[in-house]
Amino acid sequence: MRFRWFSLLSSAGIVAALFLTPAQAQTATLVVGALHVGSVNDNGYNQAMHEGLLNMQANLPGIRVIEAEQVPESADSERVMENMVAQGAKLVFPQSFGYLDPALNVAQRHPDVIFEHPAGYKQAANLGTFWSDTTSFEYLMGQVAGRTTKTNKLGWIIGFPIPNILTSINAFQLGALSVNPKAVTQVIVDNTWVDPAKEAEAVNALADNGVDVVTMIVDSPSTVIQTAEARGIMSMGFHCLCAQNAAGDHWLTGVGFTWGPLFTRMAQQVMDGTWKSTNDVGNLASGYAALAPYGPLVSEDTRALVDTSKATLISGELQVFRGPIYDNSGRLRVPDGQIANFEELLNSTDWLVQGATGQIS
Amino acid sequence: MTWATVLSFIQGVASGAIRSGASIFYAALGEVIVQRAGIVNLGLEGCMLVGACAGFIVASRTGNPYVALLVAAVAGGAFNLVLGLLVITRRANQLASGLTLLFLAYGLTSILGADYVGKRINGLQQLSIPLLVDIPVVGPVLFQGDVLWFTMLPAAGCVWWLLYRTRWGLSLRTVGESRVVAYASGLSPRSLQYQALFIGGLLGGVGGAQLSLSYARVWIEQMTAGRGFIAVALVIFASWHPVRAIAGGLLFGGAIAFQLQLQARNASVSPFLLDMLPYVLTIAVLLIWGRNRQYQMPQGLSSVFEGTD
Amino acid sequence: MAEVMPAAADSLAAPQPLIPGAVDGAVTGWWRSPAGIAVARFVTALVLALIGFAIVLLLQGRNPVDAYTNMFSVTLGTAFGRSEVVVKAIPLMLCALAVALPARVGLVNVGGEGQLYLGAWLASGVALTFTDLSIWVLLPLMLVASIVGGGLWALVPAVLRAKGWLNETISTLLLNYVAVLLVQFFVFGAWKDPKSANFPQSPQFVAAARLPTFGAERIHAGLIFALVAVAVMFFILRQTRWGFEMRAIGGNPEAARRAGIRIGTYIVLALVIGGALAGIAGFGEVSAIQGRLRPEISPGYGFIGFLVSWLAGHNPLLVVVMSLLLGVLTASGDSLQISQHLPFASVNLLMALTLVMVLVLRGRAQEATR
Repeated sequence: MRFRWFSLLSSAGIVAALFLTPAQAQTATLVVGALHVGSVNDNGYNQAMHEGLLNMQANLPGIRVIEAEQVPESADSERVMENMVAQGAKLVFPQSFGYLDPALNVAQRHPDVIFEHPAGYKQAANLGTFWSDTTSFEYLMGQVAGRTTKTNKLGWIIGFPIPNILTSINAFQLGALSVNPKAVTQVIVDNTWVDPAKEAEAVNALADNGVDVVTMIVDSPSTVIQTAEARGIMSMGFHCLCAQNAAGDHWLTGVGFTWGPLFTRMAQQVMDGTWKSTNDVGNLASGYAALAPYGPLVSEDTRALVDTSKATLISGELQVFRGPIYDNSGRLRVPDGQIANFEELLNSTDWLVQGATGQIS
Repeated sequence: MTWATVLSFIQGVASGAIRSGASIFYAALGEVIVQRAGIVNLGLEGCMLVGACAGFIVASRTGNPYVALLVAAVAGGAFNLVLGLLVITRRANQLASGLTLLFLAYGLTSILGADYVGKRINGLQQLSIPLLVDIPVVGPVLFQGDVLWFTMLPAAGCVWWLLYRTRWGLSLRTVGESRVVAYASGLSPRSLQYQALFIGGLLGGVGGAQLSLSYARVWIEQMTAGRGFIAVALVIFASWHPVRAIAGGLLFGGAIAFQLQLQARNASVSPFLLDMLPYVLTIAVLLIWGRNRQYQMPQGLSSVFEGTD
Repeated sequence: MAEVMPAAADSLAAPQPLIPGAVDGAVTGWWRSPAGIAVARFVTALVLALIGFAIVLLLQGRNPVDAYTNMFSVTLGTAFGRSEVVVKAIPLMLCALAVALPARVGLVNVGGEGQLYLGAWLASGVALTFTDLSIWVLLPLMLVASIVGGGLWALVPAVLRAKGWLNETISTLLLNYVAVLLVQFFVFGAWKDPKSANFPQSPQFVAAARLPTFGAERIHAGLIFALVAVAVMFFILRQTRWGFEMRAIGGNPEAARRAGIRIGTYIVLALVIGGALAGIAGFGEVSAIQGRLRPEISPGYGFIGFLVSWLAGHNPLLVVVMSLLLGVLTASGDSLQISQHLPFASVNLLMALTLVMVLVLRGRAQEATR
């Protein structure tokens, strides 16, 4: 029976090969693991994280980075994290919202490994969270949108209606309102971070409804931007400055994360042993994010206005969430004169500000 | 609710149905030919993926979406030929072979397409017929779209003509009803089935390419998201008739577009319940007209569905 | 009454004999038996596929030797890796049995995925509602719920088929999608965790709703269910009258009908039990592994289970072997990702190449015996 002999011989061969191949020696100063929910070439969220890691690696030679892409946001991610820990990772970045609970499980099993989770709302002794306050940027984007729109209808396409995303939308709408009291924002929820067909259809649906500036928080801005370009409406990017690669003339501006310095600092702290678990939320001045270059349709006046706003935001004179702020059902959410607690907003917003509508619950 | 909003809503849904149903329709059209020849291609999803990936890669490298479309079609055809190798030459179980090829496509396209994620391409352009497109409401829906929209009806008509008005089509359908009878009549069932698979694969590849070259203009792993399976069901829904497949394609595409258009108008409806509708409808239709349809099914398929092929 | 077509040579209904090695009544050695040949053929196919995959890796500029040693040393060489193989094999076994039993009666169940989700859904419902019960009451209750869920989901196609109205291949296939959407509907809506920041997942299950694990890794009590199911199915098919009658229907339905065997009843029974088994797989995943209900709880266990059962010739004992083998393949995908920077899905290529080789080799064996 030729199958018999063939399989016997080959099995023996494989086993022998496994034993005879010497183990690979790993000599890195620090092994860093990262999980991405999408592809690192998505011109968006994942790419921004990836570029931050590359920047960290460039700043701290000797670091070895292991990355996994397209990891599902479920208990499967635990297996991937365990695999990284088994390969010696001492700092792990589970880079998507849905990895929080799995990461907490793995963190519990490995108290000597540090985890840093973006936009998480729970911490542990060895799991910290970080995010960038993009609301100031969103406010500025809203101002650009509010001034450039011709129909006064703005659109948002988002993956999930989680609080930090809703806070971004609110900041955007407040910015738009500050320069254009007639601005309204329509939100479409995709219920998934990645689904190009849905994103394309959502842009079309918004455009059919008169929206002429669209932006998004989904993993990759490419589909939205390209579809918008094809429909002839304006778009703004998010997550990665590289989003501009997908854009044409109708690109206005965007926000991109610049995580490099933050990641470098975290890795350094882990190596020095000075790392502490915190909720590190950067603001406009921290440099965790930046405003993308302007497109041709943004007028000089608007650019000047944005510069002024930026300065007053940094100085503290201008506050995005200073009351009175009403939600879209008329309820007062932030009393007159008060400034809303930013961390609270990031963790618990479940409402949309006046003028913004969408199926968020 | 004014007439204007209602009309614009209908217009939006109709356009959306066409846009998102086109890929399913082409795949189903191809599957009609394949099933008429007595083969069930459960790996149609894989065929579409191969078309989407190949098309995107070629478009990214050459900048010409039409060449990409051709290559995508051929890639789909070649992929189906592998199924033929398993099912016709090696007489393997059709359902298992189909599922195997599905996983083959998942793996192959993810590896080959990995370098192209995030690349930008020139997609298929939007064409429009000059005067007709200005007709209110109907104009922009019917007379504007990419080349695949305009070829939808002609394609269905071609396939119908091929199947019912040519000798080749008759031979093919005979093979689908009974290989034994076909062989006895002097036909070559194997050769005809291979041909059917290839042509079906061409259309399946086109269906996949519509997604990556026109609809979304990106490449993402597994971007067909179950459309191939929907297409297989659609063929039965359309009782193996090419022109009825159009209705089915629009129905499925419409369901997807419908819920997003509703969201854009801030109307409250669960997208999940809506998404269930096409599948439930298919089962319902199959039940109501079930017995009729079973008589319309190519007899050769019965052994596949019985698990005895 | 339903018409069931007679079986042909390499059909789903003419599977491996139940006692490997029992040829012509005499045990001639497992390695020469049809079951032994099946395993040997699989290993041959695997080796051929490894060679083929190595070629693909080379074309993509990767080092196959590196890739394979990394893959297998992590998957088979570490305790966690080995445990993960078993973790993956548990739902595969159950979903494969969900295909195997109906196949013995000549039915095609491609709905394992949907039945898994329904079992998970109903078990989750119980876990989220009865949070005050003790573990000894809650877990069995969840088990029953998952059996009911999976069984019910298979009942509809079963009845439709028994009455001759709709073929079960199509109905089970379509119902997969409805099941996934149903779970999504609940997880995004009524069952959404108020403490998860609007993210779509159910609240975490209470400790009493979690299936216990063995040791430090993730192997869970679902393994017991799977092995018991294998043993019971083996016993029923081989030793009981029910099993004999089922196999008779699968072997020659016309003769079975004339012998007075109630085909309709067995159709429903086989599909419903199959669905129940897949439902138990869902219970295991959601209770032991995930700890809550999420939109995505299965990476295609239903479909891979179909292939496992088919590879095993629908023999319950071989299903265990094949589940472990395919578990190794699917669990090694992570290493490919991490060490070779290939997408996760590339392991599908290896798995598919193996199966293609099996199909090709099996075909050749068939021709040799004619």
